[in-house]
Amino acid sequence: MNPKTYHHISSNPSSVKSRFTRGFLRAFKKIKRQQRPYLYGRVKIAADKSLALAVGSRRAWSRALLWKIHYKAWRQRSRFNNKKKLLKENKKNKKNKKKKNDDEEVGFRHAKELRKLVPGGEAMDLCSLLDETAHYIKCLITQVQVMKSVDQIYSF
Amino acid sequence: MEPRSSTIGPSLDPNALDSFQFNEEIQQLMTVPQENASSFTALLELPAPQAMELLHHSPESNDSAAPAPAHSNSHTVTVDAHHTPYHFPVGANLTFPSNIALIERAARFSVFAENINNTTTDKSNHNNNNHSPETTESVPSNSSGNLGKVKNEPAESDSNKPNSPPPAENKRSVKRKEREKKVKVTTKKSKSGANESSEDAEKLPYVHVRARRGQATDSHSLAERARREKINARMKLLQELVPGCNKISGTALVLDEIINHVQSLQRQVEFLSMRLAAVNPRIDVNLDSTLAVEVSTLYISSFHPIQQVAFPWVVDPLMDSNLSNMVMPLMWPGGSSQSKQTTISTAMAFGCTSSACLGQEKKKATTLLLQKTHF
Repeated sequence: MNPKTYHHISSNPSSVKSRFTRGFLRAFKKIKRQQRPYLYGRVKIAADKSLALAVGSRRAWSRALLWKIHYKAWRQRSRFNNKKKLLKENKKNKKNKKKKNDDEEVGFRHAKELRKLVPGGEAMDLCSLLDETAHYIKCLITQVQVMKSVDQIYSF
Repeated sequence: MEPRSSTIGPSLDPNALDSFQFNEEIQQLMTVPQENASSFTALLELPAPQAMELLHHSPESNDSAAPAPAHSNSHTVTVDAHHTPYHFPVGANLTFPSNIALIERAARFSVFAENINNTTTDKSNHNNNNHSPETTESVPSNSSGNLGKVKNEPAESDSNKPNSPPPAENKRSVKRKEREKKVKVTTKKSKSGANESSEDAEKLPYVHVRARRGQATDSHSLAERARREKINARMKLLQELVPGCNKISGTALVLDEIINHVQSLQRQVEFLSMRLAAVNPRIDVNLDSTLAVEVSTLYISSFHPIQQVAFPWVVDPLMDSNLSNMVMPLMWPGGSSQSKQTTISTAMAFGCTSSACLGQEKKKATTLLLQKTHF
């Protein structure tokens, strides 16, 4: 049976999808083995993280997403250890908000919302924001597909 | 000097036959008032200072070029008309609109970027190094080469020759196209009065936008226009990505759709992660899982369009002890039950290749699930 299944391997073993699948499955199994509570949050974080890792640092949104996750984890850890001084020192290094003159052309309201949705969208000009949105949508679609299929496989 | 002209002579002959037909056409373009000369020097694609040098040299070459073919002769004559190099930009301002026919013909053809780079550097080097008689030789030869090519343009376009031109012509056609590009650049720059053209023209990654008639041509508005075009191109890509956006016109609505789509995708991810948090991993699924996932994603993508999912009925499966009850409510709204079952069965088939006994595994799974769902 195994040789049969092997030729179903995706045409591009190093595509975002396959990298994401591998990373996510690994993280998911690890989470399941642990007995900790709050599984839902962990799974979501694991999914986002593995997606961002699969994309790598090529894209601004993946970098921003990884940074966000890392920062949140770090903040949680430091809060747990009661080290408030560290929190103040290492503030989130957000870039200064650039003038959003471009947005007026396209619709300020829309651009603002889009920036909130796309990770890292605050510090981008409209042109690259649209670029990142397109790539982000593509990756989100693959993420949803993979998670659906994982869900199907595991729900038996 | 002489060898150069002699080498160029025979290379022109193949074009001569074609060119004779279009001599008249070219003559018409030529007989536009003599102020057009500046535009032809622009056609030579030489930066302004070198054009000035050539203008200085042109009186010498005038006599020698007299017996040359008619087109180059008139060319040098018209060049001669403007001795003072500073007329160059002014004349260009007055006369470019009348050369639109020529320029538009030039604008029809695509540009070969790499060849152009090489040829620009070659030409600039060539012109830089050899000032005196060689430049004069190069000017008429270039001009004749240019105009030969210009004639070839209508020849090719009118007769629609599908045959690939011989390599010599290819090279020259590349140079011509390079010149066309420079024409565009210089038209833009002459209208705006800026002098950054030569540098910009050689940086080919930039998109050269020709200033349209009646539109503002200062650098700010040009940059803005380029930016707007970029943004519009990206919006088109996004429209293709998001389903159902092709029919909508207007950026505001399209953006609305895009935002909705992103929000729905993110919500789906959240929802799926919630479900996965509740599910119990099968003990047998190991290496084959990735393959299974990939295969099932193929099925899923073909059957299920991405839709919004309702939340309320998700909570119920957690309370069910019966496995079959769990499966049915977990169907996506709008998905056909039959296709769902086939996908599930195929997913199972792949996922369970390594499992020894199905029945026992299922029972174990349900008991474990019951234990884990009650946090």
